[in-house]
Amino acid sequence: MLSNTGNLLLSISILCSFIVVYQSLICLKTPNNSIFKSIYQTSLLQSTVILICFFTLVAAFLVSDFSVMNVYQNSHSLKPVFYKISGTWGNHEGSLLLWVIILTIFSFLFLIQNKNHPKNYRIYTLIIQNILILGFLFFIFFNSNPFSSISPIPKEGLGLNPILQDPALAIHPPLLYIGFVGSSIYFSAAMASIITDYSGKFFAQSIKSWVLISWSFQTLGILVGSIWAYYELGWGGFWFWDPVENASLLPWFAMTALLHSLLVLEKRNTLYFWSVILCLLTFTLSVMGTFLVRSGILNSVHTFANDPTRGLYILIFLSLMIFTSVYLLFVKFKQTNDQIYPNSKETFILINNWFMMFYLITVLLGTLYPIFTDAISNNKISVGPPFYNSVIIPIVIVFLIFMAIGPKAKWIKNKFSNLKNLFLIFCGAIAINFLIIYFFKSYSLISNLIIVSSLFLIISTFLDLFKKPKFNLSRIISHLSFGLLIFFIGLNHNFSVEKDFNIKLGETKKIDSYKFFLQDLKLEQKTNYKAVIGKLQISDLITKEKKTLNPEIRIYDNPQTLTYEASIKSNFFRDYYLTMSNIDRSDYYNIKFQKKPFMIWIWISVVMLSFGGFLSFMRYAKNN
Amino acid sequence: MKIKIFLIIFFLSLNSSLYAEKSLDENKIHKNLRCLVCQGQSIADSNSDFAITLKMVVKDLIDKGKTEDEIYKFLSDKYGDWILYNPKFNLGNFVLWSLPYAVFILGGIIIVFLLRKKSKKT
Repeated sequence: MLSNTGNLLLSISILCSFIVVYQSLICLKTPNNSIFKSIYQTSLLQSTVILICFFTLVAAFLVSDFSVMNVYQNSHSLKPVFYKISGTWGNHEGSLLLWVIILTIFSFLFLIQNKNHPKNYRIYTLIIQNILILGFLFFIFFNSNPFSSISPIPKEGLGLNPILQDPALAIHPPLLYIGFVGSSIYFSAAMASIITDYSGKFFAQSIKSWVLISWSFQTLGILVGSIWAYYELGWGGFWFWDPVENASLLPWFAMTALLHSLLVLEKRNTLYFWSVILCLLTFTLSVMGTFLVRSGILNSVHTFANDPTRGLYILIFLSLMIFTSVYLLFVKFKQTNDQIYPNSKETFILINNWFMMFYLITVLLGTLYPIFTDAISNNKISVGPPFYNSVIIPIVIVFLIFMAIGPKAKWIKNKFSNLKNLFLIFCGAIAINFLIIYFFKSYSLISNLIIVSSLFLIISTFLDLFKKPKFNLSRIISHLSFGLLIFFIGLNHNFSVEKDFNIKLGETKKIDSYKFFLQDLKLEQKTNYKAVIGKLQISDLITKEKKTLNPEIRIYDNPQTLTYEASIKSNFFRDYYLTMSNIDRSDYYNIKFQKKPFMIWIWISVVMLSFGGFLSFMRYAKNN
Repeated sequence: MKIKIFLIIFFLSLNSSLYAEKSLDENKIHKNLRCLVCQGQSIADSNSDFAITLKMVVKDLIDKGKTEDEIYKFLSDKYGDWILYNPKFNLGNFVLWSLPYAVFILGGIIIVFLLRKKSKKT
């Protein structure tokens, strides 16, 4: 039943999109300067229908309607209610539906929010956005339909992968998608802007709040994903430069660059074409990321192993997007008379964009290169953390210095009057670095430089709070927290302690200055899994600190899976992180223990970073 | 003053990096090796039989007095370059290692060009 309802609603959505496009085309030809009321109504209807369609799928998951293929494949009647709901977007088909919801709602909101911009610009944005919507609706309807039925109706579902049954991963996709898919609206707007020659600062104003909101959500989405990886995957890290992680980072770089270049466009009316390119690039990278992740190219490296049609469809869609963007830019590009004085805020923002493009290219190349070498020379290579670290980190050092100085520069023409202060701050940063060496231990040259430059950024941004009569709080928060982020990552990376050893019940092990004692192992039966819970005592022989950690080995019923749950004790100074795993054919357990300083501050920094974005969004929305 | 401080830091860190060279960090080597039977994990993070075996192989090679690079070479000869998370710097990977910096330099040139052209006009 729900399967039919869903399919019907999907068809209505497709119909709505066609009607919107049709009405818009008529509206374009009408000399009148206002948009037809019927367009608003159809757009509203379209958003409502797609929302109901989504809730139909949620309902199918809630009541465990196994006549729906998607529910059968990804749910189980004994699963907790919360994970039944989050299971809706925890799979390929359901997440695409979420994708279309954001496309549609953003399209509607953009239409009603920008009433003081010209009609043609808004109409073209609407048309292009609806073409995107149609592209994805067709994809859902014909290739990845979440409402496909199955008969005979199975008695029980296959269940959701246990590592996805997690609160962080339940909210991760919606957050990330608001960022990812939210960028579609300024893709459409940028195209509309080129087509209708609506350039300059008014264009910047019409998309600025959309860039801010998608950037903030993207940041949060990436954060939640890394927190999940940290406690769920059991290797104690939070970023592995995995292709799937990179796919979320690439649009983030483009968005960050755009966020800054829009400031120049808004204030000085220059860099228009560059901003448009960034608008187009951001959403293109989002779709590319989706293509790489969904087609199975990256996970298995066997091209299109998962589902060839799925990958092929997105690839064609992606090529069309790129082709149209490049074509429009090529036809409409005009030499603009940008006036930029070398020592000015504009220059520093250009420098920001320059570095962002460098990060983007590096990560893009690292992600795609293995695919090329495999295709060309049949030589599979891995591009992992050592590559990214050695290419990117030296550049970050310089970047942080610019990030500290840049915001102090004035628009149009700047003169640095406070070089002495900057020098003092620099000395302060070096002094603190010495304290760190003194309290922890010495570390490598490059790490020293990272710490010094991040401290330089932190201190000088913090001092901005007191200096000017009028300051930009959201900028200070975001820049400050980016400094803190790099600073704490640096400390965390350099001063983590790791121990890997085997132990059996009742045994005590002494490694360096730590003593480990496996006191107890308990078997517990939970609703949808069995767990072996260990009780492990750790004593630090130097600080006399004692901790008890309870790592788990879980055996899930549906589907039958073994997972290792890390036990984490965290405070403001350090995290104790411990995983336990059984070793086949022996009564020993493998223990991985890590002591990671200032772990929690990495999360706090990123929350602050995105808070800066939200703050800026709210202020901007209030003023306009 | 600035130079002095810089020199002190430089030698301090040089000292520390030299010190680190003395003993081979087993864990660091593990982190640079891909667990071939897992999905995107290093052997340091994995508990698979493959990872456990490979860790023993690495330990064995270290005991035999092999250097870090020799260990990587031994393993990549055996399992292919797929096992190394740090791609080799060779002809095939030349583009990978150099393109980011080439783009970086090009970007710098574009900005300088842009600024010079504008300031000449005014």
